[in-house]
Amino acid sequence: MTSHFLILSIFAFLISIAFALLMRDTRKEQIRFAIFSFVCFVGSAFVIGWLMYPFPS
Amino acid sequence: MPAKQLARAREEENVAAAIPTCVSGWLVPGLGHFMLGRRGRGLIFFAVVMTLFLLGLYWGGELVELDRSDLLRLLAGLAELGVGLPYFVADLLGRGDGTVTSVTYEYGYTFLIVAGLLNMLIVLDVFDIAVGRKE
Repeated sequence: MTSHFLILSIFAFLISIAFALLMRDTRKEQIRFAIFSFVCFVGSAFVIGWLMYPFPS
Repeated sequence: MPAKQLARAREEENVAAAIPTCVSGWLVPGLGHFMLGRRGRGLIFFAVVMTLFLLGLYWGGELVELDRSDLLRLLAGLAELGVGLPYFVADLLGRGDGTVTSVTYEYGYTFLIVAGLLNMLIVLDVFDIAVGRKE
């Protein structure tokens, strides 16, 4: 498995679940926080990737 | 004795009682929550940390030995050690040698480190619950 995006998504998914359980108490808050956290992880990767695009590899 | 001092004294008593639970939670990810009656959370934490750890090994990550001569490797080793018993089991089974040439080596290495750090956070959460700082 060498898809960078898939590995990033798996990482974001697992960490988001753990953070949600650690930082929120009710089930509804946990689900909302997990989704927010997942979107932030993946979104920030896209933004950083886009910012790094002009740099030579 | 004022209520604030009484609460602090009670918390100090709880600290000693919390240590075995925290050590259990370090050795087996999620066990601390399980022992405190939060079985669902404990199982999810176990699944999350073990998935990170096993994927880290599968992707060629390296289990770093504690090497005092290199600060970065020492810190990485301490972070990985945070995962507890699985670290020692994997080491005994000869896993985690690290395949530097593997495309996924860095991912595996990162997953192993994050698994350990995440388990440390989980142990801190166990401590807070055990001493009564958190519901």
